[in-house]
Amino acid sequence: MKKFLVLLILAVLGYYMYDALYGIGIGIPRFTDGVKDFYLDKTVSQLHVANTVTSIVVNFRGFDTLGEVTVLFLAVTALGSILYKKRHDVGTRSILFSSSSIVRSGSKLLFPAIVLLGAYVFIHGHLTPGGGFQGGTIIATGFLLMLLAYENFKVSHTVLSFVESFAGILFVVIGLFGFMNGGTFLQNFLPEGALNNLFSGGVIGIIYVMVGFKVATELTGLIYTILHEKD
Amino acid sequence: MVGTPVLLIAIPLLAAFVIPLVGMIWKELVRIIPGLVLAYMMVLSVTLLHYVSVHGTIVETIAGWSPPWGINLVFSPLTGLLASIMTILGFLVWMYSYRFKRNVDFEPAKKYFIFLMMLVASAVGMVITGDIFNMFVFIEIMGISAYTLTAFYTGRNSAEAAFKYLMMGGLASSLLLIAIAIIYSQLGTLNMADIASKISTMNPGYKITALVFFITAIGIEAEMFPLNGWAPDAYSEAPGPVGAAFAGITVKAGIYVIIRIVFTLFDVPGAYDFLLVIGLITLIVAETTALRQERLKRMLAYSSIGQMGLVVVAFGIGTVEGAYAALFLMLNHAIIKPLLFFSGSYLVFNSKEKRICEVNGLGKYMPFTSVLFALGAFAIVGLPPFAGFWSKLSVLTAAANEGLLLIISLILIVSVIEIVYYFRVVNRIFFLKYDKSTSVVPHRPRFNAVITMVTLAILILVIGFYPDAVTGLLHNASQDLMNTPEYIQNVLHGGQSLIR
Repeated sequence: MKKFLVLLILAVLGYYMYDALYGIGIGIPRFTDGVKDFYLDKTVSQLHVANTVTSIVVNFRGFDTLGEVTVLFLAVTALGSILYKKRHDVGTRSILFSSSSIVRSGSKLLFPAIVLLGAYVFIHGHLTPGGGFQGGTIIATGFLLMLLAYENFKVSHTVLSFVESFAGILFVVIGLFGFMNGGTFLQNFLPEGALNNLFSGGVIGIIYVMVGFKVATELTGLIYTILHEKD
Repeated sequence: MVGTPVLLIAIPLLAAFVIPLVGMIWKELVRIIPGLVLAYMMVLSVTLLHYVSVHGTIVETIAGWSPPWGINLVFSPLTGLLASIMTILGFLVWMYSYRFKRNVDFEPAKKYFIFLMMLVASAVGMVITGDIFNMFVFIEIMGISAYTLTAFYTGRNSAEAAFKYLMMGGLASSLLLIAIAIIYSQLGTLNMADIASKISTMNPGYKITALVFFITAIGIEAEMFPLNGWAPDAYSEAPGPVGAAFAGITVKAGIYVIIRIVFTLFDVPGAYDFLLVIGLITLIVAETTALRQERLKRMLAYSSIGQMGLVVVAFGIGTVEGAYAALFLMLNHAIIKPLLFFSGSYLVFNSKEKRICEVNGLGKYMPFTSVLFALGAFAIVGLPPFAGFWSKLSVLTAAANEGLLLIISLILIVSVIEIVYYFRVVNRIFFLKYDKSTSVVPHRPRFNAVITMVTLAILILVIGFYPDAVTGLLHNASQDLMNTPEYIQNVLHGGQSLIR
């Protein structure tokens, strides 16, 4: 009886969800009277940013991005707090077998390239697809590779939390600088530059670089904490 | 001016990033800085509330894009009142827990204060934001802080409670995201005022689907029956002050989101009756369950759920008077329930099981804490000289004006149940004999805890003897809630613009 009721509720819910999602008609341009045209127009004409996704993420909805960065920060802090044990700091990693020399020299070769690619992606976030979140994740995968290949590869927790905190602080401080000249929070206060140049878009590029650093250090710290968890 | 509404969010976020750095320099700073930030938020929100009640609603834009293109914050008499309650309570919770884990363990203490501060900041953010996706982001921040604080004592029970909460919260987030997606796909906007002005053009089928998803999602945060399974565990397993913060801050934010969605965003008439019914069920189920509880904190948790049910009933009446009564109840609950949690956690401080039967005769050994607990109990059941009386009376008058006699009688019956289980505890404290083998060893409250509890008790007495101190604010807030056209007008067409 109980199971039947649950199934019934799920079926009703499923029907209405199907109905609503079917009606959306994904891919059909229907947002004409909404906010879409405004974003497309202002990104190029006012912000001088080539990548509209970036301008929406960092400027139009930059406050949400600040919140998302905080969510990531809190999630990593929460993980550290739950896995915390007295006098843990560096537990030993359990290693089943050590990696072969091919993996070791291969990852040594790949590591700088991965970090470079990650840095490229977040520095050019306002010009090409990608940005802070993506670039930061790429860099963290580089660290993951090194941690897997070398059993004694060490990352300093102090340095990680320094970089992480400074990136976060700079994000908020840049936001607060927006109040200059009678502006609002997160408003651009730097010259916009010419479209498609590296130095264009004012604060947008700088904020995305900060996001890149923050995501990279947070994800690296996350991997490091989990790998060194004592049981 | 001391600042603009956005600083209520920006400053705590800045401090959250700063705290790990300054903790390396001087460990005491991780306690002091959250206190300074919460004090600043308290002063700022109260100042802005005063400004708003004189000059009208503040609408602050972010990144220079006016609504509906950018994100905006709305600091109106209603949101300002709730933000002020939350920041004042956040500061009191900080003061109560100032010595938490002091000289014992630095890392957990640092994280405790970061999460406590973010809990308050995100609840304030949920209330003052004017953008529905921004609200989702704040709900996420609040959720993560709340799960971590629940799991704080890394034991078996707290891990179970936190996991339950995490699962329910995750479900709430996904439903909320689907609801936001449906609205965005139909109306092409995320701004709440813009949605409210366009909602009548939306297909009714999609409208109902989105509303159901919204209410289910937020019902989890606001402890509505039957979605509140996480609440008693979370309240009883989290550290004492966190239970007070849950009861006073996070649940209030959840209730605010429900009423904002039902009253402003959607124009579905049946939603009021739905609130009335679901609130009544929550009230009756929670209060009767509270009667059967053997542990003090679980009893307080169920009582808290019941009070939220009563708040929803009062909102569901659907008149300005009902909203006034509901806001009055929220205000009173925000000052009374923390007092009960604070004094209650000192009563059972040295007990492992935290059972009610262990408080026998403590009134003789901990007279001060016992009297404060009794004061809180008398106030929450609504005895005349205390604050709770006025709010319960206003609920009953609001219901009587609409002729809802069945609801009045049910509320009165439930109040009797409430009296029974609270007076049972008070009776044990004062009139039963202290027995060394079964009762707990008394524990004197610390100085900072005493100040916090006395402040709350004074607030209860002041509102009890002189309710006019707050009724003006509450009337403004309830009128602000019911006046949707003015909200749309303020946000979309100027209104009171940013203050310098």
